[in-house]
Amino acid sequence: MTSRVFGRREVLLPQELRAVTGVVVAALAWEALSRGGVLNPAYFPPTSQILQVLWRDFRGGDLALHTLATLGRLGSAFLLASLPGLGIGILMGLFTAARRALDPYVAFLYPLPKVALLPLLLILLGVGNPAFVVTGSLTAFFQIVVNTMDAVRHVDPLLVEVGRNYGARGIRLFWKVILPAALPGILTGLRLGLGLSLVTVIAVEFAIAKSGLGHLVWRSWQMLATPQMFAAFLVVGGIGILLTRGLKRVQDRLLRWQPTVDVWA
Amino acid sequence: MQETLRQAPQEKEVALAKPPPKVVVWDLEVTYLVGRRRVTALQNFSLEVQAGEFCCIVGPSGCGKSTFLRVLAGLVSHTAGRVEIRREDASRPLTAMVFQEHALLPWRTVLDNVAFGPENRGIPKAERYRHAREILAKMGLSGFEHAYPHQLSGGMKQRVGIARALANDPEVLLMDEPFAALDAQTRNLMQEELLRVWAQFGKTVIYVTHAIDEAVLLGDRVVVMTARPGRIKAVVPVNLERPRTLEQKGSARFAELYNEIWYLLREEVDAALREAVYG
Amino acid sequence: MPRFGRLCMVEPGARRGRREGGILLSLTSVVALLSLWEVAAGTGWIHEAFFPRPTVIGAQFTALVREGILGQHLSVTLGRLLWSFLVSALPGVALGLVLGVWRTAREVVDPLVAFVYPIPSVLFLPLAAIVLGRGEAARVATAAVTSFLLVVINTTAGVRQLDRSLVEAAMHYGARGWRLFTKVLLPGSLPWIFTGLRLALGLTLIVVIAVEMVGAETGLGAWLWLSWQTLRVRDMYAGLLVIALLGMAVTYGLEAVRRRLLPWVQEGESKL
Repeated sequence: MTSRVFGRREVLLPQELRAVTGVVVAALAWEALSRGGVLNPAYFPPTSQILQVLWRDFRGGDLALHTLATLGRLGSAFLLASLPGLGIGILMGLFTAARRALDPYVAFLYPLPKVALLPLLLILLGVGNPAFVVTGSLTAFFQIVVNTMDAVRHVDPLLVEVGRNYGARGIRLFWKVILPAALPGILTGLRLGLGLSLVTVIAVEFAIAKSGLGHLVWRSWQMLATPQMFAAFLVVGGIGILLTRGLKRVQDRLLRWQPTVDVWA
Repeated sequence: MQETLRQAPQEKEVALAKPPPKVVVWDLEVTYLVGRRRVTALQNFSLEVQAGEFCCIVGPSGCGKSTFLRVLAGLVSHTAGRVEIRREDASRPLTAMVFQEHALLPWRTVLDNVAFGPENRGIPKAERYRHAREILAKMGLSGFEHAYPHQLSGGMKQRVGIARALANDPEVLLMDEPFAALDAQTRNLMQEELLRVWAQFGKTVIYVTHAIDEAVLLGDRVVVMTARPGRIKAVVPVNLERPRTLEQKGSARFAELYNEIWYLLREEVDAALREAVYG
Repeated sequence: MPRFGRLCMVEPGARRGRREGGILLSLTSVVALLSLWEVAAGTGWIHEAFFPRPTVIGAQFTALVREGILGQHLSVTLGRLLWSFLVSALPGVALGLVLGVWRTAREVVDPLVAFVYPIPSVLFLPLAAIVLGRGEAARVATAAVTSFLLVVINTTAGVRQLDRSLVEAAMHYGARGWRLFTKVLLPGSLPWIFTGLRLALGLTLIVVIAVEMVGAETGLGAWLWLSWQTLRVRDMYAGLLVIALLGMAVTYGLEAVRRRLLPWVQEGESKL
């Protein structure tokens, strides 16, 4: 691989360019197949029509409002999950007693698909945003707890010895050694948590909410308004890409001290 | 003050009282649990190290050399006996360890790694950076202050490791097979470098290694340990003149010392092998 | 100041011996919480209509299991889960291996994968229903989409992280084509494949439950949804319990299988 400092850019830029080309080619192929009648245009409207609808509904405000609703729920869910998730994860990673006491609940609830908690939360909180947001946030919460705990527990013991031999003890040892060493794992947990939150929020909207992109897809399906449905798909895909790629970039930026992974192209 | 003491000890005082040792280890014992079994790592281990001495410890692998360093560093507790280090200055830490795998903090630059100890002692930023830069310059590492560890070669990483230890200005410098992971050429360079730095800083050094030639080249004395449980088998004074250079490895006296220690060690390695094979 | 400095005892290290067998604390914690719940619901501190006492839930659970109702729904959900997993895992691994070695194909497929992967699977239900009709096939296909991509991504990454010299050495010793796949690429990337499969199975379960909630009459998700709509809170808790147990079986079961079958394989880091 090329030099570490400049290697990234050289490798990444053409790749992004190629990605754009791939998407454009796929879009054109779709357009052709639909117009040529290979795909039933009633179910698979041509790309140009989807883009037109996307543009119209965004300016008309309908699509924009649904997007905002989804983003709002996602943001609140993530905020609600991250701070307690980090705190409990760190406690469980540092202290054996905390881990022993809380582990049964985490082991029981972490693998539970959180969508399944939606009915319960609907009963407790009523049909409305609080229940939707809490469902989405529980997904992220357990992911963050598990990743944070593992990251803190598996900090290289040698680095902890270094910290102690060089005078970092107690809270100082935590801030200066354990937290930075665990940061890669913690950030991965946050990233995965956000992604899972999106899955859950969309599923909840699909099932019961009266707004949001998930609801929009469901409603377009019921009315067989396929262009609207695909337009909503595009927005969700866009949000997904922005979140995953953007967060990955933030993570790389924060972890510049890590050697870049050598993958042969 | 410490300097003047070392340079000009008055004849009379020397006659009256030999300077007390820097490190006193008396009847040390360390045991730990492996599952339900209690294993003895060190036993009846007594040693005195003088101020400014370069003391090397060799022994078969698993004999507890590293455990001994970790006891001195306060990282492992001993189960019996006494360990004392004579402190000249209450503001300085007792020990600083150079680890086998350099163990630099990967998220810190070279400069921040070297300034890590002083930072934990609350030294102001400007001062600890000035001090760290000074030491980096003496170690020939100027210009790499802002590099991250993964950008350095193995030898350079370990030079940063030594710089980090020196920057903490410990009473005793502990070195745990610091060059074991390096290739032969780099190791030779680093040994010379260490001799130079030691002459410059005049630290008391306790140096653990499994390489006999390294121990003879660097040490004032070589402590030979037995197989587990680790005890002291012999202490061999190295009466080669200083300053030492790599050329001395070719001398007859060097070969003599090497053979003496090799013979002592072989019995122990055989014993350790028997233990490993036959339980 | 004394002439030669002060003697300092080396402080013993702060490391304490680790005590094993701390199951007791876990057990105490669970028993304490359940008892608290029992008492709180019994005395009316918390609303028993929303939080039935654990003993009541337990009784309902055993009754439903004995009648075979939960078993029926469980087997329906399990069937969907297994089908989705099979349909996604086998082609996923195959495509991943191909994409790992074939650069051109990778460059064509990569952007599409990157775009489709983050779209939550549930959204594909309408599309699947349009193509496959409203039925079992649509539900299975919906749950398979994202897990298929997950397996593809991880398998590709697994092949690409293989040491290039290893592959070159194998080719030098005559392993080509099918042999190269089965003897070198597949075993070499197994750790990553397993990571992909584990994540995929977990995600498939989420989607199957979600799909059942919105578009099925049977299955555990449908049972939950129905109990909510008819406000049968105890049934809902019983259903939740089964789903949680299923989740645990899926998450920890696959790990146990891996440890049993492939004890030398450590899981690779996920490439997401």
